[in-house]
Amino acid sequence: MEGGEMDDSNIVGLSANREYAKWAHRETNPEDVPRKPEALDDTLVLDLSHGNFAGLFASSLLAEMGAEVIRVEPPGGDLARKMTPFGIMIGDAGLGYIVEGRNKHHVTLDIAREEGKKLLLGLAKKADVLIHTFKPGYLESLGLGYGDLREANPGLIFTAIHTYGQFGGDSETCSNQPDYDIVDQARGVIMSVTGEPDLDPAVPDAYKKPLKQGNWMGWYAGGAWAAFGIQTAMFHKRKTGKGQFIDASPPEGLMAISNYVMQYFHMSGRQMPRAGNYDYAVFPYTYVKCRDGFTFISGFSDPNWSALCEIMDRPDLRERFPSIRERLTPENQPAIQHEIERFTVRYTSEEIQQMITAYSKKPDKKGTVVTGRLESSGDVLKREHWDVRKTFVRVNDPNYGEVLVQNSTFKSMSKTPGRVKWVCRPIGADNESVYRKHLGLDGEQLRALKESGVV
Amino acid sequence: MAREKTRPDSTGELFEKEKLFDKPEPLKGVRVLEVCSVVLGPATCDYLAEFGAEVIKFEGRKGDQMRYVTPYAYFWKGMSPGLEIENHNKYWVGMHVGNPKAKALFLELVKKSDVVVDNLTPGRMAEWGLDYRALREVNPKIIQLHVSGYGSWGPWTGRTSYDAVAQSMGALASITGFEDRGPIKSGVWIADWITGLMCANAILSALNYRERTGEGQFIDYLQVENVIRLLDWTWLYSFKTGEDRKRSGNRDLAICPSDLFDCLDGRVALAAFSEAEFRGLCEAMGRMDLFETYRDPLKRLRDGNARELLDRIAVWAGGCRVEDVEALACEHGFAASRVLEAKDVYHSGHSRERGVIQEYEDPLYGNMVQQCYPPVLSETPARLKWSCRPLGFDNRYVLGKMLGLPEEEVKMLEDEGVVFQWNPDVPSQCPPPGWDGKSGVKIP
Repeated sequence: MEGGEMDDSNIVGLSANREYAKWAHRETNPEDVPRKPEALDDTLVLDLSHGNFAGLFASSLLAEMGAEVIRVEPPGGDLARKMTPFGIMIGDAGLGYIVEGRNKHHVTLDIAREEGKKLLLGLAKKADVLIHTFKPGYLESLGLGYGDLREANPGLIFTAIHTYGQFGGDSETCSNQPDYDIVDQARGVIMSVTGEPDLDPAVPDAYKKPLKQGNWMGWYAGGAWAAFGIQTAMFHKRKTGKGQFIDASPPEGLMAISNYVMQYFHMSGRQMPRAGNYDYAVFPYTYVKCRDGFTFISGFSDPNWSALCEIMDRPDLRERFPSIRERLTPENQPAIQHEIERFTVRYTSEEIQQMITAYSKKPDKKGTVVTGRLESSGDVLKREHWDVRKTFVRVNDPNYGEVLVQNSTFKSMSKTPGRVKWVCRPIGADNESVYRKHLGLDGEQLRALKESGVV
Repeated sequence: MAREKTRPDSTGELFEKEKLFDKPEPLKGVRVLEVCSVVLGPATCDYLAEFGAEVIKFEGRKGDQMRYVTPYAYFWKGMSPGLEIENHNKYWVGMHVGNPKAKALFLELVKKSDVVVDNLTPGRMAEWGLDYRALREVNPKIIQLHVSGYGSWGPWTGRTSYDAVAQSMGALASITGFEDRGPIKSGVWIADWITGLMCANAILSALNYRERTGEGQFIDYLQVENVIRLLDWTWLYSFKTGEDRKRSGNRDLAICPSDLFDCLDGRVALAAFSEAEFRGLCEAMGRMDLFETYRDPLKRLRDGNARELLDRIAVWAGGCRVEDVEALACEHGFAASRVLEAKDVYHSGHSRERGVIQEYEDPLYGNMVQQCYPPVLSETPARLKWSCRPLGFDNRYVLGKMLGLPEEEVKMLEDEGVVFQWNPDVPSQCPPPGWDGKSGVKIP
């Protein structure tokens, strides 16, 4: 759709301030993205991630913002290319890798070989950021540790991502373990409180155990934290010229955002149980069954609870559970859930959405009720809102064919929007251009390196 | 384990926690105005505050909603733990910025600030005459980030979002849960925290760009879209196969083996994908026959193969103790760990040594032990300085020191109700019982 011709209703939607919505659209129009500058296009990043999407996601975020990312793989390609559901491959890359190969220049290099080490050192001298996910101690054993690289480039921001971190007691004992999402989630505390509710007698015991987030949340949160650390370090470097060592442990990235479980333990000496779709701090705030699946529904504070009871025409419930003290107990929440579902199973998620929207416009409304359908992945791909906002990028890639990947979420920055310039590149596809540009290697030299198996 | 130590001892020295407060803060000198409530917006600013930004938080009369969101309606020294978790190192002002007089004060602060963050209904700031256009007029270098569920424009702009809505509308909930059971929401407000983290990333890029060019900008950030971004291969899979991504419990459909297993005395998370790691696991299990059959990682990922292999591992793990599997993982080079709970991390020497759990004395609330945001930086590490504060606790400091208002003028603004402090009848807005009237007060 052409920006200028876009239907107004697609821009102002349900906005209470149409003029603002139109202004915001002009400022962040997806059509204008390719013409705008990039925030980090003066930054050179080396990504040595090894079978690890925390590292890959961190460098994706920087690449979306315009950093020049050189993705260094071993000569046969990185293991992450094979991390793909049911083993589905498109050419030399699995589905996960195609999503996080974005905007990166792909080279191969055997850093365990003497010539390979020299090339890496040459690149590291020019780089602002190096990201790696090897076992702690591996790069040091090659003479490529922070100490070595800092000597060559004091401005280098050396970022090491690993489950157990690069120092500390557990790091000493467990540094021979590789970093995997499932273990990052297991050590990130959130998994201990996610899963079917411990205190609901209706749940069979076999399901009362920790549950991971369905996605690679350990790796994605770990990567987002690493990128955040890198950007604060870059900000410091711009003022002082100094680089530094960033030690990014993905489970610490989850543990740091595990709600109040740590604080509650400190204050009360007690731990939180798994609550399933209940929430012992805010309720109702839950997924309920409806005629066509599930939908979210909330009505937590007293006014909002009154509003929900009014919508359901159940004043008796308001009297039975009048304050948060009654609504926040593990005993009452299954009962409240059950009563709400008696109402919601009669309607589709869309009908519930409409009822609640209509109620929100009533002048004598008691409070605010919020709903949102529990979407499947197929549902999401069909929604007009995501189409209009360009949430996904669909391209016919010369190497990977027709593909669709999620766009940069930084695309709505007015001056320097994030973007996806290409989705992925084959193994070693950019060897020639990268080694020529940064190390001045000519065709002859590159051929020799290829023959000896270094690249 | 029995492995040659290759790390120089100096790695730990780079991060010595005794030197924490001698080191510079990377965001020192960055002033952030927080017009936010609940979790997402305040968390965005909290990440910046722990790395040294000076965050000024504005609250209306009722205060941040998190003053009333707390497990089992439990309050500690009058404070809501729900408020504490996303509010550290901040300056607290009781002032509704929509009030015309307050607006003028706010704009004065904008002149001296770098970033404004709001997570209100999109367009609300505009109604108050405080949208980016107005802010830019008084400070051309200002960066404004607005975050909401669906963004400032588009067919669904204006719809309300909460964490759990973002989890459901972004399809995280539909892929989380056991194969033969219903969808499960995260045990924490993950879509708030993680969206806040990406907002902080966006702000940092804008700050880096401004450092290069002197230019500020407006950022529209969408919470639901952020959840969508984090779902790895989900979208490409649905696009290519036409199928929804299904729930698979703790089993990773793209890495095999990777799952949670029952042991004799607990549970262990385990993964071994590369050929070498998988060989190590098979050696540890004494099942080299499995290695011969399933050496190839891609072969292991086929559904039938994966189920069979995971069953074999489950049988083996069922006869082991958790700590034995962990030790075998260290010895043979695969990944395995128990599931950590809050108390494990709270008491962990590892986490304290790394400074990701910090203990400090808060002048209002006393001894505190809690998380400090990662990652761990050698030159410019994050730190916890103080906890959340009563409503309007720093009015005088902010108006006096930052705007240079004399005491009489602040008093007048209070009398007019433009700025205000806690309501004594609402305990979770107030200082802890027995507060001496001085502790924690910052002198302008």
